[in-house]
Amino acid sequence: MEPVTAQVLAKDRVGEWIERLMAEAEVIAPVLAHGGDEVFAPIRSPGEVLWEFTNPVHPPKRFLLPQTDPVVAIRRGDNGYELEAIVDERRRVLLNVRSCDVAGLAFLQHVHAADLPDRSYLERAAATTIVCLSCPDPCPLGFCICSGAGPFAREGYDLQLSDIGDLLLAEIGSERGGELLAATDGFFRPATLAEMAQRQQLEEKAKQLLSEQTCHFASAMRRVSTGRVAEDLWRKMSDWCLECGACNFVCPTCFCFSVKDRHNGDGWLRCRTWDSCQYPAFTLEASGHNPREERRDRIKRRFFHKVSAQYYQRDGMVGCVGCGRCVEVCLGTTDMPAVVAAIRKGEWHG
Amino acid sequence: MDSLFLPGVARILDVRDETPDTKTFRVVLRDRAAHDGFEFQPGQFVELSVFGCGEAPFCIASSPTRPEYLELTVRRAGQLTDALHRLGAGDEIGLRGPCGNGFDVAAAAGKDLVFVGGGIGLPPLRGLIWNVLDQRERFDRVTVLYGARTPNDLVYKDELKRWAERSDVEVLVTVDRGEPGWDGIVGMVPVLFDRTELHPRTSLAFVCGPPVMITFVIQDLLMRGFADHAIISTLERMMQCGVGKCNHCAIGHRYVCRDGPVFSYSQIKELVE
Ligand SMILES: Cc1cc2nc3c(=O)[nH]c(=O)nc-3n(C[C@H](O)[C@H](O)[C@H](O)COP(=O)(O)OP(=O)(O)OC[C@H]3O[C@@H](n4cnc5c(N)ncnc54)[C@H](O)[C@@H]3O)c2cc1C
Ligand code: SF4
Ligand code: FES
Repeated sequence: MEPVTAQVLAKDRVGEWIERLMAEAEVIAPVLAHGGDEVFAPIRSPGEVLWEFTNPVHPPKRFLLPQTDPVVAIRRGDNGYELEAIVDERRRVLLNVRSCDVAGLAFLQHVHAADLPDRSYLERAAATTIVCLSCPDPCPLGFCICSGAGPFAREGYDLQLSDIGDLLLAEIGSERGGELLAATDGFFRPATLAEMAQRQQLEEKAKQLLSEQTCHFASAMRRVSTGRVAEDLWRKMSDWCLECGACNFVCPTCFCFSVKDRHNGDGWLRCRTWDSCQYPAFTLEASGHNPREERRDRIKRRFFHKVSAQYYQRDGMVGCVGCGRCVEVCLGTTDMPAVVAAIRKGEWHG
Repeated sequence: MDSLFLPGVARILDVRDETPDTKTFRVVLRDRAAHDGFEFQPGQFVELSVFGCGEAPFCIASSPTRPEYLELTVRRAGQLTDALHRLGAGDEIGLRGPCGNGFDVAAAAGKDLVFVGGGIGLPPLRGLIWNVLDQRERFDRVTVLYGARTPNDLVYKDELKRWAERSDVEVLVTVDRGEPGWDGIVGMVPVLFDRTELHPRTSLAFVCGPPVMITFVIQDLLMRGFADHAIISTLERMMQCGVGKCNHCAIGHRYVCRDGPVFSYSQIKELVE
């Protein structure tokens, strides 16, 4: 176990600490919303922040990759069109993000920085501080341990908080995390060895609760990467997919998009908008030709992108962080663990 | 770091009708320095904006050896291309790019070159053909084989004539269906292979056109002794970003907009959905 630099904060001072954060940045945290849903939203007061919650059905992805994200402003000027790249450098703190979602954000950071760097994502991410809240009681549908994404985060966070009774223990994951603690001097003090051990016990206990391996990526990866999944199996599975795209939209690692112009005053905003590889029009060419005409071709695509060795090598991790959201939202049964199990066993029972 | 999505504004200088549904647009980037700095390879493409309609990919149909302007040949196929067809000289569009890999012109030096185009597949080859003709001494035999559905669907009719008049280029044109007044060859593109002398061992074949045509032409070339790596083609996919981010053009873990659109047949065989 690597030595961790950790500090502790008394819980009764958390509100004051969050107020300090709010003075510097927009703070986004899980809050109770209309109808009793728990969602990530900008907070107006520290009291709104939830500390015990079911991970919201939408990950905090949308604060870095909004569903409709203006990237260029288009205006008609006196001397023709004027174009301007839109850059969002607003400072944000994502508070109480679970380890699976921290891994999801690390994945998005990687894909947007790789090859041609995507400034509109990267600048927003650079201005965003990620404060993780570790998971001592893993959620019922999650299988983060199978993708190495939890229940405690190993990287990708600026701070990771763990609830150790009357105190919150904060591990520093980055220079920015360190600066954040330094800037709020007086709230934190260095953790004792006993407090560190307490956090360690929480992690061990959480891992035991998750111990049963539920999603065997490695064996599915071998088959998917070498095309050793029967076409008929894809077909049978795809019969259970309603092509709603929900799995894509709630997934912390999905990032496919389309580009559209939207009216804005007397000009337009060029926006990137979420899209889904499960929609037939995703690959429909203007000629009418569609290389992924059949639903089975599209479901195959989704799982190739998420679990193939080719993408694993390219992205450095499987494209699933085991959050369990697609299990929750899928109207059929073609969620990640179900499909991985079917691929592994070579059979599907719907 | 520049935004991946920010186009440059370009001005249309001239529009030429090619066929009833296809036009060639001659454009320059409005910013002179940006235009002069716009370096590209034949086979690369641009993301073209019609403001308010969005963007679509079009290959650059002109040659980098003629840098005064860029040319794009566009068939009317839907919303954006419709709107583009309504624009004329003086109107402004957006250009983002160049995108994609382009043809490897240096690797073609000293070879016999066979260009095989079908229908709207001639534009990407046209940029390469002019590039080759502008430095003709670097290449051996040059053969252009082109086919379209009807005589009306042939693009670059004047240029085909000009190339045919040259003694250092062989040009053969065919149409699927003849019409009164057409006294040329009738038949699908592969019929042209029997009318010319092919030299598979010393040649590179560049094949562009609709997917069905590409499939048939490649099979035919293989039968005639062309090696997989000597057959070079361009793939078309639905594209949104052109910069390897949106995932629309993915084939397996390859991206047509980044790894392509130009692929050799040996590479194409390895692409698996
Ligand atoms: C690398 C590359 C290079 C290219 N180069 C050229 C070129 O040089 N010249 C050229 O002419 N073309 C070229 N193309 C093709 C060109 O990009 C398309 O023709 C263009 O995108 C069409 O855009 P559009 O908005 O006009 O058509 P769209 O409005 O997108 O629609 C095209 C057609 O598809 C149908 N359609 C659209 N969406 C749907 C849907 N959801 N369901 C059913 N039908 C639908 C429409 O009815 C319409 O008939 C190239 C493509 C690529 C990928
Ligand atoms: S595939 Fe499903 S379980 Fe995996 S990260 Fe995406 S939504 Fe979560
Ligand atoms: S067009 Fe977006 S990834 Fe290729």
